[in-house]
Amino acid sequence: MSIPDYMQCAEDHQTVLVVVQPVGIVPEDQFFRIYKRIASVNQVSIRDSQRLLYIRYRHHYPPENNEWGDFQTHRKVVGLIAVTTCASAKEWPQTSDRFHGQKEVFGSTLYDSRLLVFGLQGEIAEQARTDVAFYPAYDQCEDVEKRVEDFVESIFIVLESKRLDRATDKSGDKIPLLCVPFEKKDFVGLDTDSRHYKKRCQGRMRKHVGDLCLQAGMLQDALVHYHMAVELLRSVNDFLWLGAALEGLCSASVIYHYPGGTAGKSGGRKPSIAQAADAGKRHRPGALTANGISADTSSEIGRAKNCLSPEDIIEKYKEAISYYGKYKNAGVIELEACVKAVRVLAIQKRAMEASEFLQNAVYINLGQLSEEEKIQRYSILSELYDLIGFRRKSAFFKRVAAMQCVAPTIPEPGWRACYKLLLETLPGYTLSLDPKDFCKGTHRGWAAVQMRLLHELVYASRRMGNPGLSVRHLSFLLQTMLDFLSDQEKKEVTQSLENYTSKCPGGMEVLTLPDGLKLPPVPFTKLPIVRSVKLLNLPVILRPHKVKGLLGQNMATKSPFIYSPIIIHNRGEERGKKIEFQWVQGDVCEVQLMVYNPMPFELRVENMGLLTSGVEFESLPAALSLPAESGLYPVTLVGVPRTAGNITVNGYHTSVFGVNSDCLLESLPGVKTGGCTVEVVPGLPRLQLSTSLPRSANAIQPPSGEELSSCVSVQLFNGETQKLAITLENIGTEMLETLEVTSRTVNTKVCARQLDSRCRDGLVAPALALHHHFGEKLFGEFLSWDLDEALSHFPLKPSQVVTLTVNIKVKLDFSGQENLLQDLNDDGISVTGLPISSPLRQVLKPRSDSKQVGGESGKAEYSHIKTLEAILNFRYSGGAGHVEGYYRELSLGVHLDVEPSVLFTRVSTLPATSTRQCHLLLDVFNSTEHELTISAKSNQDLVLHASECQRMAIQVDKFDFDNIPEPDEERVRFTNPKLLQEERQHAQGCEINSKLDICWTIISFPRIPPFAHLPSVRMQCINRIDTAATGMFVFLAAQVLPVRRRGRLAIDRRSTGPALKPMRLIGTGHRSRSEVVRPGSDARPRDGDVQAVSFSVVFVLLLFFFGVVVGENPAVTRHLPQTSGSRPQRSSSAPAERASRWAAMFPPRCAPPR
Amino acid sequence: MAVCIAVIAKENYPLYIRSVPTENELKFHYTVHTSLDVVEEKISAVGKALVDQRELYLGLLYPTEDYKVYGYVTNSKVKFVIVVDSSNTSLRDNEIRSMFRKLHNSFTDVMCNPFYNPGDPIQSKAFDGMVSAMMVQAC
Repeated sequence: MSIPDYMQCAEDHQTVLVVVQPVGIVPEDQFFRIYKRIASVNQVSIRDSQRLLYIRYRHHYPPENNEWGDFQTHRKVVGLIAVTTCASAKEWPQTSDRFHGQKEVFGSTLYDSRLLVFGLQGEIAEQARTDVAFYPAYDQCEDVEKRVEDFVESIFIVLESKRLDRATDKSGDKIPLLCVPFEKKDFVGLDTDSRHYKKRCQGRMRKHVGDLCLQAGMLQDALVHYHMAVELLRSVNDFLWLGAALEGLCSASVIYHYPGGTAGKSGGRKPSIAQAADAGKRHRPGALTANGISADTSSEIGRAKNCLSPEDIIEKYKEAISYYGKYKNAGVIELEACVKAVRVLAIQKRAMEASEFLQNAVYINLGQLSEEEKIQRYSILSELYDLIGFRRKSAFFKRVAAMQCVAPTIPEPGWRACYKLLLETLPGYTLSLDPKDFCKGTHRGWAAVQMRLLHELVYASRRMGNPGLSVRHLSFLLQTMLDFLSDQEKKEVTQSLENYTSKCPGGMEVLTLPDGLKLPPVPFTKLPIVRSVKLLNLPVILRPHKVKGLLGQNMATKSPFIYSPIIIHNRGEERGKKIEFQWVQGDVCEVQLMVYNPMPFELRVENMGLLTSGVEFESLPAALSLPAESGLYPVTLVGVPRTAGNITVNGYHTSVFGVNSDCLLESLPGVKTGGCTVEVVPGLPRLQLSTSLPRSANAIQPPSGEELSSCVSVQLFNGETQKLAITLENIGTEMLETLEVTSRTVNTKVCARQLDSRCRDGLVAPALALHHHFGEKLFGEFLSWDLDEALSHFPLKPSQVVTLTVNIKVKLDFSGQENLLQDLNDDGISVTGLPISSPLRQVLKPRSDSKQVGGESGKAEYSHIKTLEAILNFRYSGGAGHVEGYYRELSLGVHLDVEPSVLFTRVSTLPATSTRQCHLLLDVFNSTEHELTISAKSNQDLVLHASECQRMAIQVDKFDFDNIPEPDEERVRFTNPKLLQEERQHAQGCEINSKLDICWTIISFPRIPPFAHLPSVRMQCINRIDTAATGMFVFLAAQVLPVRRRGRLAIDRRSTGPALKPMRLIGTGHRSRSEVVRPGSDARPRDGDVQAVSFSVVFVLLLFFFGVVVGENPAVTRHLPQTSGSRPQRSSSAPAERASRWAAMFPPRCAPPR
Repeated sequence: MAVCIAVIAKENYPLYIRSVPTENELKFHYTVHTSLDVVEEKISAVGKALVDQRELYLGLLYPTEDYKVYGYVTNSKVKFVIVVDSSNTSLRDNEIRSMFRKLHNSFTDVMCNPFYNPGDPIQSKAFDGMVSAMMVQAC
């Protein structure tokens, strides 16, 4: 006996075995249909006895197993049902012969047999035969079941008679020795008369009767017989049969304890049948008495005692198996006993002991097994392990079985079966094929084992001829096990993946296997790994702005409070969800991903694009190549929203190694996003700006984080005018409907630089410096334009161009530049020598420090050039976006370097011949390096060489300032007096300016390229009289300057004495400057606080000058109560003297050091 | 002495696994993995039977042809598995117990490391060294 029946279970011991076989040629499907109908009659209730007979059907049974029928009667084939096709009566004899031949195979054990003939009806003479049934066709055999039942009953009768025969057979006749096939030769020549031999015979017979009783449904009798057999056989050490008797005992007890059966759902009886069995059991005592057959009186005594307890069952099984184990030839019996015991233990939920039985079963050697048997054996082991809840063991054996399917010794490897078995092992290795289960944190599992399994799946599916599956499994392997693959493995896996995808590209569809298993798609979220996703704002020039004041702008916060911390908190939350900027329909929008390549080789990502929802979006895919083990690498994915609305970036798609993946952000671990939803506003036009002037290299730093789209730079002389042509082209697709232009001056750069250097020197308090240098005055707007001309072309269609001309005019006050005047006042005495005295010493005297501000410390970096910066804003809109209230802004920075041109250093008047007129004497200084001509209203041109100073006289009408309108009362009340004063000055300045109309022209202009083609440009001199006035002041101030430097001179004086002071060289800058100290200046107030002096002096002088111009105007003189002596007839030096006198009014704040 | 030593997390994935014949590592992976069935069964049996809960040593999990597999479970359900060669008959139960105790102490040290995240693979050098010592010893 070599072929184990792994499906056996304990309750099979009470069944009778019937073989159903085809005879002759029977179509397979027809045979199995009939077989199923026959097999449905698996238990028959016997008339008159309330007993149940269980039948086990087999369509195939090895005859050598039948030879073990005496050992365990359920192995004995007692019935044969043959199924045959017989087309005509002629064939009948032949068929009949075959049937008899078939009977011969199991002839020795058969109780009865039947032949079912299909195709014939009533044509056979010997119809009377009970063992043959005729049916016209396979589907016309309604009473097959009935016939089978009759057949079973006839078997029962034989069985019962045999049982009775054997059970009562104790009349001293010689009991035959039952034996198993391999024992036969052992007993040859044995003394048959010995007591030992007789006991052996008796024991075996008891056991045999027990089997028959069990089969006949007499459980209690069976138990009694088994007990007796065990005792008998134990005494003679007949271990094989002792084992069998013990196993019989176990089987009977199992049947008693577990009427539901132990075979699990596959072999389980129907519940109704189980109940019937239960009922049968309960009625059994009655049945016993009804039959009246009781071989043993002990059977009546305590059935419970005869029946083993569940624990005992296992003990006895163990014992039985250990006895079987003594016989090499009983391997199958041992194996089957193990399987049966495991099934019982599984029901008892004693997994540990069950595993011991299984462990034992694994080692039972059944000799040379065929490959198929091996597969069967491993599969059943796996099933049994699964039954007891050892899913890992189960998976292990299933995998072994799978490998066995494709063992190299098998000529036709069953890859399909192998693959199927491998799939079944997945739960055991806690491996699901859904990548979603792996995306949470680090992978936790038996990576080495799982990787092996995945490799096997890949290989099996490839050999099955399903590259799609291979690609899917390989992608899965790469995606989920990336952290565990070595560099070499990574290379190999990707190479084979590329090989597979060349035949069958991987995609995102769900693969469904024939058995219904679904393989979800595997997106490569780790190739490359994305760390952050950031939606980018449009470039500054393309950003849409919402028109303020439109409904909805300020309605976002539904609160009556202007400020509340709670609202701010809420806003913060909202901000987290939604991005604050907007995208524009039709414009290219960008999303920046930070990615890195975890592979040890270059990773080529193709067709990388965005996945979005909410808005029609045209994604423009990119291809990238990431270097091996790259760090974070920014990748910008772009696309164009085609409609307006809220767009959400859900993820991205890639194509790596021929596998297309859609990676959704929500399923990516550890990705930082700053919100993925952004509003797309309707389309807006786009303007491109170009200018006639060259772009500026030094960009203007605009205040408050704005950005400039472009910047131009111009160099001008003070008073010069330059035209700047700005060309605007609509390069978008929308109509340009509105355009607004504004300008703003930002003029902090130069000041800031100087401030820094001074503060660094530690010489000046920042506030003071700031004050001083913001004294820079710009008169009027220096940018002016006429928009109407441009607007007349509107609306501007796409690709149309409009030109706007902007006039740049500079009117700056250069009078504050001491160094300039320094040059003028240079006496020519210059001494080079000792370095400057330590600034530290001066710090000790803060008052004197501040005095030196204007004069000295700034000098080093001071150039004559002043810088003006302004920003031109172009605000435009059109198309659908205009309707929604959005606009765009372009800004052009204008950078102006202004050089001083003409300065008035001194102003005085002379009475003219007419009393209505006077001569205005102006000392004009040409600070440029060019020769220029100056013309006033009525004078001839005056030619001035570079750095030349000349006096020019202009005859002007006297006029009254009264006709300048005074500001109305209302304003006077509310504005501060200083402002009012300035305003008045300004108005008066304008008045004077219009009278004089002074212009200057540079005769040759080779230096500035844009002017090269205009050798002689006439430039409007916009240095107005008020400028001239201030210039005059500055001249005076320059006279005062040496005084202000006395602090330092005093130190020197200690060493050189109080004589005429030589100049000190101030060697901090590039240029050395010399200063003159006049001895007399000591007497002057050394309180040279520049600001204090300049403000008061300027004002007074200005008034003085006006007084000169207007003569004895009481309105003016009223303002000058202290200047009673000032007359227009004063010489040109008068203002200087006066200034010093005025200055003397300010008392010295500290004593001059000696 | 031992041919394979493994530490398995509460959720039954390996925190540490090392075997001496490195060329056949996978085999030990399989051995330890399947032994978990028995460990689980033993733990659940302990719960049911209410036997001495403080006994952490699970004893012989199962013998294979070449190896014996022993198990140990900490109170936090971290499992230790030691595989020894079947031919090594000198090993007594007590020696296996002391090995487990050493392993447990070393594991406790690993867990005390503030930079170790419970649940991460063990990469401690000290632990590694101790395991190596146990493997080399009397081999």
